[in-house]
Amino acid sequence: MIGQAVLPTPELVFEPLLPELVLVVFAMAGLLYEALAKRTEAVVHLSIGLVGVVLAGGTSLWLWDWDGPATVLGDAVSADRFAVLARLLLLVVAALGLLLGHQYFARSGDEQRGEFTPLLLFATSGMTLIVASADLILTFLALEILSLALYVLTGLTGRRAANEAAMKYFLLGAFSSAFFLYGVAMAYGATGTTKIAAMALALTGTGEAQALAVLGFALLAVGFAFKVSAAPFHMWTPDVYQGAPTPITAFMSAATKVAAFGALIRVLDVAFQALAWDWAPVVWGLAAASVVIGSILAIAQTNVKRMLAYSSIAHAGFILTGLTAAGSAGIRAAMFYLVAYAAMTVGAFGTVMVVSGRGEKRTRIGDYTGLARTNPIAAALMTLFLLSLAGIPPTAGFIAKVNVFSAAIDAGYWVLALIGVVTSVAAAFFYLRVIVLMYMQEPEPAAPSLTEKVGIGAENSATAILAIPAAATLLLGVFPGVIVGIIRDASVLRW
Amino acid sequence: MTAQEYAFAVIAAVGSISAIAVVTARNVVHAALYLVVALLSVGATFLLLGAEFAGWVQILIYVGAIVILFLFGLMLTKAPIGRDTLDNTHRWVGLLVAAGVFAGLAFLIQDAFPLDAEPFEVFHGSTSVVGESMFRDFVLPFEAISFLLLAALIGAIVLARKDEGN
Amino acid sequence: MPDYYSSYGVVLAVVAAGAILVAVAFTAAKLIAPHRPLPAKLTTYECGIDPVGEGWSQSQIRYYVFGFLFVIFDVEAVFLFPWARVFESLGWAAVVEMGIFIAILATGLLYAWRKGVVRWA
Repeated sequence: MIGQAVLPTPELVFEPLLPELVLVVFAMAGLLYEALAKRTEAVVHLSIGLVGVVLAGGTSLWLWDWDGPATVLGDAVSADRFAVLARLLLLVVAALGLLLGHQYFARSGDEQRGEFTPLLLFATSGMTLIVASADLILTFLALEILSLALYVLTGLTGRRAANEAAMKYFLLGAFSSAFFLYGVAMAYGATGTTKIAAMALALTGTGEAQALAVLGFALLAVGFAFKVSAAPFHMWTPDVYQGAPTPITAFMSAATKVAAFGALIRVLDVAFQALAWDWAPVVWGLAAASVVIGSILAIAQTNVKRMLAYSSIAHAGFILTGLTAAGSAGIRAAMFYLVAYAAMTVGAFGTVMVVSGRGEKRTRIGDYTGLARTNPIAAALMTLFLLSLAGIPPTAGFIAKVNVFSAAIDAGYWVLALIGVVTSVAAAFFYLRVIVLMYMQEPEPAAPSLTEKVGIGAENSATAILAIPAAATLLLGVFPGVIVGIIRDASVLRW
Repeated sequence: MTAQEYAFAVIAAVGSISAIAVVTARNVVHAALYLVVALLSVGATFLLLGAEFAGWVQILIYVGAIVILFLFGLMLTKAPIGRDTLDNTHRWVGLLVAAGVFAGLAFLIQDAFPLDAEPFEVFHGSTSVVGESMFRDFVLPFEAISFLLLAALIGAIVLARKDEGN
Repeated sequence: MPDYYSSYGVVLAVVAAGAILVAVAFTAAKLIAPHRPLPAKLTTYECGIDPVGEGWSQSQIRYYVFGFLFVIFDVEAVFLFPWARVFESLGWAAVVEMGIFIAILATGLLYAWRKGVVRWA
């Protein structure tokens, strides 16, 4: 074992890791700019961030036609189209987060936070790494990289609510990471490997150490459930989404779900595919609990950010509903849902940011009364995103829900689909309530109009950014066919 | 029983008792000191299993650095440290959940590794073996650790500087 | 394996010997020394001022940042040990790997330094 002859280092194939390398290099560049420049300009930070994200997106696109080995770098990174699509989605969300954050910090009057861009790029690199990771050790490290960056981003403004949110997120997040790591250890004990492909082979056809593998999966599921905010591990979500600066809430509510679901799909449908009968009830339970708890508790909320946080818990449940169907069918449904969810949740939180004004003063649901009069564009955008979140045609949310329900029914879980449909109908109530408030009621006379507070310029550019998620929400609702082919190609995991 | 098993029994007993003392201690500084004992016994268990590198890393990092950080963290807080101010009403629920998780894990682990099974051959996890596998097979996770540490460093500085400003 | 355990047996023996030495010394002191308790013996030694309030004072966040830097570079140092054992057999690849690792952390240190975190003022 020791004193072996020098082994030849295997040929280095690192191209499938290029998007992460680009992001990391630009994150470091932003960090060095912040550290070394005498006076930093917000525009330079934004440019560094955007160029990094665009270049990472370009390298990801190039990987779509990758014909090299399925896994590289010691079987630690997958080079399949699933990783490419998930990365592109994450990078679009990151770009929107950067733009919204730039607007937010420009108007908030807080001390300029130069660390925003590097931290967001760090979080994004962790997210794009986790969806491509084919080794649970790397998955854990990527999970920690993205989580650490998000904890700090949550508390970036130093407002009291933000600090409290960051603290809660950190404590509960660290706790759930411990569960995840324990799960990795148990899975390693059962299979003797942390590579998910080797794990899948080790678990196929052997009855031995099955209990340990199931235990490992259960612990991993706790870690994932926390990250995607599925009930009953959702407790942190409302507080964190409400307390965090709104553009960061927009970024993390969409991107964290994509990243964590991307990793979960690899764990479910590659590593533990032989145990599908054992994990399906777990996913079933998490899905049912999430849709019910998320939808019911959302009704009682008086704060828009909090309401959207509970709505995101319910959406985690809908995605899990799709994943009860093992294999490609479930992956297709979940992927479509993730694309739609990313568009509508970034849009909804982005609109909340526009409406909330300086210092996030207007985030109560009551503040939306008569918004159609004071800010018709924001009201129209909010209506679109809320309709999509409620799953009403012709929006992306409707198609996405149909997909996950039909995937669950095809897999024989029609009770779960029924629970999903019933809660969707109940949930439509609180989305429609906001729309009614915006259009059917007069604004409170005391309510100051938005343009007075933030200035027309900043207002308009923030709204212009939201045209992207709005277009996506409508396009996917009316012509879902445009990405069906792409998702079908991406739903085949190579390992 | 072999000498190793006697040694393990002693180490496990010391570790378990001090771990319970960590959560029951009324003074958090005492709790941190009990944690030192608990972590030392984990390190000793690694040594007993032949995982020499992991054992000393456990002692160097956890006992040598992380407990120190805990103590600094405690010193940042405003007194009064300890006594009853830290207790909350969820004690019994917590105990119940902990007991349930312990029972479940204990059952599953003894199910997977029965007592009468063939003992594992002790793997001598020397530093060279760790190095071989880390720098040949786990290069990417190794580099990812440096980014993780960098993110943690920046995060701590960003949050700490903010507090100083206020 | 027997070598491994017996080498730690020596460590154990040294620890045990140390513990016995202290125990014997204290027991001997207890047995031999005269025992005359007085309240005055419990006060601050000779000319000190009587303590007021509690023994706890809130410390600065700087201590924490220094402690944190220490942990980060402690973890870095731990990785140097296995590296030092194998870099001869792995050659330049290992040197480059460790170079990247240290460079990334050095960036963090540079950032900390420029932000004035390591200055004590």
